[in-house]
Amino acid sequence: MLIEVGHFALVLALVISLVLIVVPSVGLYQNKDSLAQLAKPLVWAQGFWITVAFFVLMTAFLTNDFSVKYVAENSNTQLPVLYKASAVWGSHEGSLLLWVFVLSQWTVAVSFFSKRIPSDLINLTLIVLGAISLGFLLFLLFTSNPFERLLIPPPEGSELNPLLQDFGLAVHPPMLYMGYVGLAIPFAFVLSALIRGQLDSTWIRWTRPWVLVSWSFLTIGITLGSWWAYYELGWGGWWFWDPVENASFMPWLVATALIHSLSVSEKRRAFKQWTVLLAIGGFSLSLLGTFLVRSGVLTSVHAFATDPTRGLFILIFLFIVIGGSLVLYTWRSSLLQQSNPFSLLSRETGLLINNILLVTAMLSVLLGTLYPLILDSLNLGKISVGAPYFKAVFVPIMIPGVIALAVFPYVRWKKDSLFRVFNLLKFEWICVVLLTFLSWVFITDNFFVLVSVGLFIWVVIHVLVLFIKRLRSKAKLSMSFIGMVVAHLGIAVFVLGATVTTQLGIEKDIKMNIGETQTIAGYDFVFNGVSPHSKENYSGFIGDISVFKNTNKVAQLNPEKRYYQTGMPMTEASIDPSITRDLYVALGEGLGGEAWSVRIYYKPLVRWIWLGGLMIALGALFAAIDRRYFLRIKS
Amino acid sequence: MIIAWQFIIMIALTCSFFAWFLFRPISQSQSLSGDESNIAINQQRQDELKSDINQGLIADDQYQVAESEIISTLATELRLDQKESIAIKPLPWTLTIILIFSVLSLGIYSQLAPKMISSENSLTEPMSMSDSIERLQSYIKENPGDFQALKMLGLAQIGIGNVNQSIEAFESAYLINSKDIDLLLQYASAIAASQDGQFDGKSKVLIDEALSLDPQSIQVLYFSGIVAAHEGNLSGAIEFWEKALYLMSTNHPDRNIIEEALGTVLNLQVK
Repeated sequence: MLIEVGHFALVLALVISLVLIVVPSVGLYQNKDSLAQLAKPLVWAQGFWITVAFFVLMTAFLTNDFSVKYVAENSNTQLPVLYKASAVWGSHEGSLLLWVFVLSQWTVAVSFFSKRIPSDLINLTLIVLGAISLGFLLFLLFTSNPFERLLIPPPEGSELNPLLQDFGLAVHPPMLYMGYVGLAIPFAFVLSALIRGQLDSTWIRWTRPWVLVSWSFLTIGITLGSWWAYYELGWGGWWFWDPVENASFMPWLVATALIHSLSVSEKRRAFKQWTVLLAIGGFSLSLLGTFLVRSGVLTSVHAFATDPTRGLFILIFLFIVIGGSLVLYTWRSSLLQQSNPFSLLSRETGLLINNILLVTAMLSVLLGTLYPLILDSLNLGKISVGAPYFKAVFVPIMIPGVIALAVFPYVRWKKDSLFRVFNLLKFEWICVVLLTFLSWVFITDNFFVLVSVGLFIWVVIHVLVLFIKRLRSKAKLSMSFIGMVVAHLGIAVFVLGATVTTQLGIEKDIKMNIGETQTIAGYDFVFNGVSPHSKENYSGFIGDISVFKNTNKVAQLNPEKRYYQTGMPMTEASIDPSITRDLYVALGEGLGGEAWSVRIYYKPLVRWIWLGGLMIALGALFAAIDRRYFLRIKS
Repeated sequence: MIIAWQFIIMIALTCSFFAWFLFRPISQSQSLSGDESNIAINQQRQDELKSDINQGLIADDQYQVAESEIISTLATELRLDQKESIAIKPLPWTLTIILIFSVLSLGIYSQLAPKMISSENSLTEPMSMSDSIERLQSYIKENPGDFQALKMLGLAQIGIGNVNQSIEAFESAYLINSKDIDLLLQYASAIAASQDGQFDGKSKVLIDEALSLDPQSIQVLYFSGIVAAHEGNLSGAIEFWEKALYLMSTNHPDRNIIEEALGTVLNLQVK
């Protein structure tokens, strides 16, 4: 019966979202405050019932209730408890329930942290969020019901995809969804402002912290996904330009532009059109990502479903959301025309360049992701667009962006002079050239690495100087400023890590016999053999490799080859991590006798990629808690 | 449909919660108007500007311009719309919400609810196949139009070797829904099993139907390859299986089966 309670709780949530759309709207339209103010209790009740449904499904997994089709298909009695709990979102239906759950929690958060927001705006925002949750609840209940029952429950469930039997599944999707779904909040604020016809300071001020927090979660989600793929897939890569990865990266790029655009709109009342379109674009792209993952148009590790009905539903929903928002935008475009003027050399120009570069980069990723699908659907043949395209197109677009982020924080709002900026920066530029030259002499002659080292030094010096200047001017250091500094440093750390590991990383795919030694980047890898190994949900082999440097043992690596119930082989890499390099070993196939194929990687500065990602996310969180967002307003 | 006391409690709880807030709405005095918010934000902006000029972060002329911009911004934002809220009678609204809420939630649930739920015992003690079949048969007697149950019966029958009964069940399911890919493939397999594994006649027709419905399905492509191979159309079989492999992820558990079949056919073609 518990399952049916969860099922019915979802139905209640659906009906509440309908009431949420109708009753407070009547209140706002007819100026009946008691009805308009019902929006918050409706949101709380909806959040409560969705939480009940979510935890009922989790209970079904933990208690092996195979009368639930979704549980029977994605879990079994042998699965460890952590994976049983995270298997809730391991496939399509449950991950959609997670989506709805996260949306409800965001909506409840908006209703709670809204004391400083005008009640009309907040009630309308909650109504828009209610409409979004209505769409997703309809989709969930009528095409992807996680509580669907089996007439005859099997005695044992199926295997959860072995790739997902990992700690990464417990953290990556919830974080990513927090970001994806969080973009619904700025979208709802924008739509409310457009509906009210009041695109004023209030709306811009209160949207920004929500964008920052959701962007921060999206950054953490993408970073965790990259880290998970690195250690789980067994070939040492950290970004694959997989269409589904791209689907999460595109909203990130647009949300990055949105954060910067909002700062101009907030400070200078410019770029309002950009801000509105970016907020609509960010959420639309997160819906597009949902469509790509769930429609069956993609074949990928991430792709959940191959059901055209589901794809059609999301496509229709996508058209309603994008079409409706753009119609509203066109209707209210006259209100977005007013803007304060600025000169060619000003911080506004820098942020405009930033927006253009980020949106162009997003379009290049969108083209590379959708082009093969469009060709295929028109029967014009199958092509694959992979890393070479993205590296050739995406990277050159982003380099000017990295340069701009070191210069424009120095440039004044509205108007500045080239002479002043040059004078301000000349000593830093000399330092950058000098240090890059020293890197060339003492460290590497790799052109790409030198460029990234130059960019890294450029950003670090400029950010530090900016920081010191603020301190010396005795100005209060706002959390917004600290956030900006940390996030920009994070970009520099990421760029350096990504370039160095790509350019200077070493990979060897070799056959090793017992006692054999391979030397890579000054490290001696000694193969001591392979032994059988098993746990409750798999069996396989575990390798034994000792690593020495200058005859000192530095690491003991134990890569695994696992075979799960389905017979699917899995490679579990063994990694010796450090801040300067990773030593990474993956076990291949047995080659007869005592020989095995082994892949060994030396990955310099690879951890900097994720460190940079986390710094970016932390920067956004700092900026989100700036005191101006906690302004006390007396009514 | 199951309407348990738990559902009634859930509806009652939710409606009482809403009724509470209709009779005692969240106080509007704790909320702000748009004008109050805009004045406060622009004042704060002006304070930030003053602090910037005191610290020499901006030039004097820029301060003047920025300050006048703030004032003009505020002037355009203020609406001075003093709306008088209209009071409502909470009782009719509460009754309407309770009515709509109960009817809609129970109505939607009746569309989605399972027609039969396994007993608690069946979760702990696995049923034998013949028990399952008996249970399905009795269920189908009451619900002869249940497509899923018929399909499941067909699968269960073939599981214990009752090929003819399986074909009967699949045929009944087919008459209800002839567009279900999984059914078409299972039905074709059952017919092939009854004719010594030969995928010809109706079996072939069913697989062709499945192919026309979903030419991208890996399972359909696999079966179409088998049909082509049985007909001696080796290049056709190769084409189907290569397409299936292309559509499969590299770690798909069925990949080996298709690769093996493809290898066999390629060898035959070479010979």
